Amino acid sequence: MAKTLMIIDDSATMRKIIMRTVRMSGLEFDKIEEAGNGAEALEKLGAEPLDIVLCDINMPEMNGTEFVRKARQMASCNATKIVMVSTESAQETIDGAMADGANGFICKPFTPENFQEKLTPFMN
Amino acid sequence: MIEQVLCLNTLLLDSAKEIFETMIFMDMLEGEDPNETIEGDAVLSSITFKGTMEGCLAICCEKKCAQVITMNMLGFDSVEGISDEDMCDAIGEVANMVMGSVKKRLHETCPNLELSIPLVVNGRQLKNNLGEGTKEASIKVKIEDEYPAELSLLYREKSN
Repeated sequence: MAKTLMIIDDSATMRKIIMRTVRMSGLEFDKIEEAGNGAEALEKLGAEPLDIVLCDINMPEMNGTEFVRKARQMASCNATKIVMVSTESAQETIDGAMADGANGFICKPFTPENFQEKLTPFMN
Repeated sequence: MIEQVLCLNTLLLDSAKEIFETMIFMDMLEGEDPNETIEGDAVLSSITFKGTMEGCLAICCEKKCAQVITMNMLGFDSVEGISDEDMCDAIGEVANMVMGSVKKRLHETCPNLELSIPLVVNGRQLKNNLGEGTKEASIKVKIEDEYPAELSLLYREKSN
């Protein structure tokens, strides 16, 4: 079954890099949405739930941590898998994101293999 | 004193090299001429941090270099069509990623650093500055053996 993806990052350049790297990983998505911050992402997810979300942490308006907490309170995001993609790599940050409701964590710099490894379990 | 524990210039260079090689697909080497300056239109991307120490990391390079970095990050074939907005966004993200790599390497010595959103400015003779009482690690580099750039880390250590 085709999957849908959302990339949340305040940098349009980084969203393009992530999109390209996901494609290089060999994973195929039926639809890829983008959002520039957590608030914009929540609005889009409220209108149309998606299967997988890749989310930056350090963003203006609503950061990734706050986004995860709020998304987990939305019934429409119950089944959505949220994977953080961030330059933050401290174990406490990763543990905190997972405790807030994230399903995975990819550190920048990343490779296509990182996306393949972390997203493949959510593709079936 | 953090500089007694770590060689910050090496840490800065290693962090930037990691990002340039893995995310931007460009080589970076330490510059041979420490007095080489960045002439003409330049771009300075900076990101501040606070926590167990506070300061600012910056990358300064020629505008042409910033455009080539943007071209590589976006997967374009030429710099034509790259707007200043694209360039600022890309160079801001470079500072963000390099600072992330610095933060990772500093974690044992300076845990819990909190990063700001990057800020990018265009101009001439740009200089990273954080006022009085700051220490500085800075290193001249060469990107793709062609473009001079400067990495700098200004910081203040918090007294206990």
